[in-house]
Amino acid sequence: MSGFSFDRRVFVTGSKDIIAIGFPGIPFGMVIGVVIAESGIGSFVGWVGSWVILAGAANLALLELMAEQASTAVVLLTVAFINARHAMYSAALRPRFTGFPRWFRYIGPYFLIDQVFALAASRPDEMAARERLWHYFGSAVTLWTLWVASVTAGLLLGDVIDPDWQLTFAVPLLFSGLMLLSITNRPGITAAVVGGGVALLTTDVPHGSGVIIAILAGVGAGTIAETRSEVTA
Amino acid sequence: MSPWATIFAAGAITYLTRASFIAVGDRIGLPPVVERSLRYVAPASFAAIALPATLGGDRFANVGDDWPRIAAVCVASAVIVRWRNVPASLLAGMVTLWVILAVN
Repeated sequence: MSGFSFDRRVFVTGSKDIIAIGFPGIPFGMVIGVVIAESGIGSFVGWVGSWVILAGAANLALLELMAEQASTAVVLLTVAFINARHAMYSAALRPRFTGFPRWFRYIGPYFLIDQVFALAASRPDEMAARERLWHYFGSAVTLWTLWVASVTAGLLLGDVIDPDWQLTFAVPLLFSGLMLLSITNRPGITAAVVGGGVALLTTDVPHGSGVIIAILAGVGAGTIAETRSEVTA
Repeated sequence: MSPWATIFAAGAITYLTRASFIAVGDRIGLPPVVERSLRYVAPASFAAIALPATLGGDRFANVGDDWPRIAAVCVASAVIVRWRNVPASLLAGMVTLWVILAVN
């Protein structure tokens, strides 16, 4: 696949681009490290889990459930529901990866963290296919490293960040910002309002399944709004 | 199941979810309406993550009331809409939260 040979310049650009939206994950990763230490499942297995799963919200829920001795079925069901949004990310990115080599289509998705998706989805098709591939990998490998380092730091150092700083609040701030940046038209506003509203109403739905219900509702509402605006236009 | 088995099963579920559509690549075609709907995945997903974490959620900022968190999100949102700069918006939001907590 000579058409996709390594492009160092774009790889570095991807790496820089992800840091701007990836660094709020540092305090969150450190929290995961602290929770691993407190969960009683074993530091090494918990640490390996953080990069096998590579998804903060699902990882946190998994650790809490395992610490409570929840059944394996409940743990895995919860992970599946919380991470179901990644299937939507996968579907949304598929057209951008058309014609990419097979090795990328199998390895690339492993790194599909929310911020990696946000960056890949926001990058318009102005980049050539080869540049898109290495930009993706630059962002993916950099965020992977940042995440594993943060979890490791939390595990080894414990609660070194004063909780009064409330640094994990950077996570909801980040997602609010990513939401606003991802809105490109009026139906996008509808999608966000419905997605966020339904998520608020479904926080008590079992096993974290409220998130995927909310996303499906938001995507559906955005699509309907788009169709209606075309009809009236 | 041992913790190892649970963790690798959770990792496999996550990987298969992420790989689902990308791995099949060009071999499938989605209906045009579904293909169009996918541009709303990002706004709907990020809103569905951000809102419950801001309203009634102590998980990310254990400050009691909702309003300091709402104020911080509003300031951060204003910054991002005006300058489209994520680090600046995060800083503005965090400083807002710290100022409210300091004077409150």
